Amino acid sequence: MESNHVLDAKGLACPMPIVKTKKTMKDLEPGEVLEIQATDKGSTADLQAWAKSTGHEYLGTETEGDTLRHFLRKAGAIEAEGVVIPEISLDEFKEKVDKNENLTVLDVREIEEYEEGHIEGAIHIPLGEVEQRAGELDKEDVIYVICHSGRRSELAAQTIAKKGFKQLFNVVPGMRDWTGKTI
Amino acid sequence: MSTKTAIIAANGGLFDAYKVFNIATAAAATDQEVAIFFTFEGLNLIHKEAYQQLPMPQGKEHLVEGFKKANVPSIPELVEMAQEMGVTFIGCQMTMDVIGLEKEAFVDGIEVGGAVTFLEFAKDADVTLTF
Repeated sequence: MESNHVLDAKGLACPMPIVKTKKTMKDLEPGEVLEIQATDKGSTADLQAWAKSTGHEYLGTETEGDTLRHFLRKAGAIEAEGVVIPEISLDEFKEKVDKNENLTVLDVREIEEYEEGHIEGAIHIPLGEVEQRAGELDKEDVIYVICHSGRRSELAAQTIAKKGFKQLFNVVPGMRDWTGKTI
Repeated sequence: MSTKTAIIAANGGLFDAYKVFNIATAAAATDQEVAIFFTFEGLNLIHKEAYQQLPMPQGKEHLVEGFKKANVPSIPELVEMAQEMGVTFIGCQMTMDVIGLEKEAFVDGIEVGGAVTFLEFAKDADVTLTF
């Protein structure tokens, strides 16, 4: 999994991985992903519980030998930004796709999710890279932003709205309930 | 969404210190508001000299190795971390009077108060613990 920041908490005992995560998370932007490398076996359960009570999103853990690599996405953008992105329901969006309207679809999920299946012609930029790669998109286009459930796509749309994109739609919920064709 | 955790530290051994400060730092790291009331022997846990070499329980001295191996932070380190994250330390005035110590004998940044000071904080706490 891709991350924006890596925190090395290897060799540290409880509660240090949590304390360090808390401190590091402060410096991340909402929507960014933090990778925490730890050897404390209790850290998996602890970080899940921590994410739950602090509102961040626990994305998963990968094991590499003795090292546990935990991934957390920082929360907070929706409340903090206040940019309202118009939503379009998945059904309405599907009608447009089915009618072969020439839509610009931006898929902001992680690469693994995208590769498992996406809408034909969708542009793929994971949420964490949206800010720096916004230049690849045309500001004049009507862009339909999609992710798994509609949360990351909202963050992504808010991020590029600040860069002057005006015609953005957040597809809600997202690929989770998509019944149309994928490739 | 702020949760409040109120802790009473009434014992002065090394194990007691870890119980108190591990829970306190973990709670503070989880965005909880935390206050610890240090009373009787619990005051050792924040005493400038005493907290650097708190006693192991009798017969457990061999665990010194284990603490080193597990890379457990020292008590002064945990105290500093807790304070950095905004944990409130309240020293018990009455105990301090009894043992004849002033605020200066303890780590910087503590408050001194009586039982009511703690109760005021603890009355609407979501978690209350005694060690």
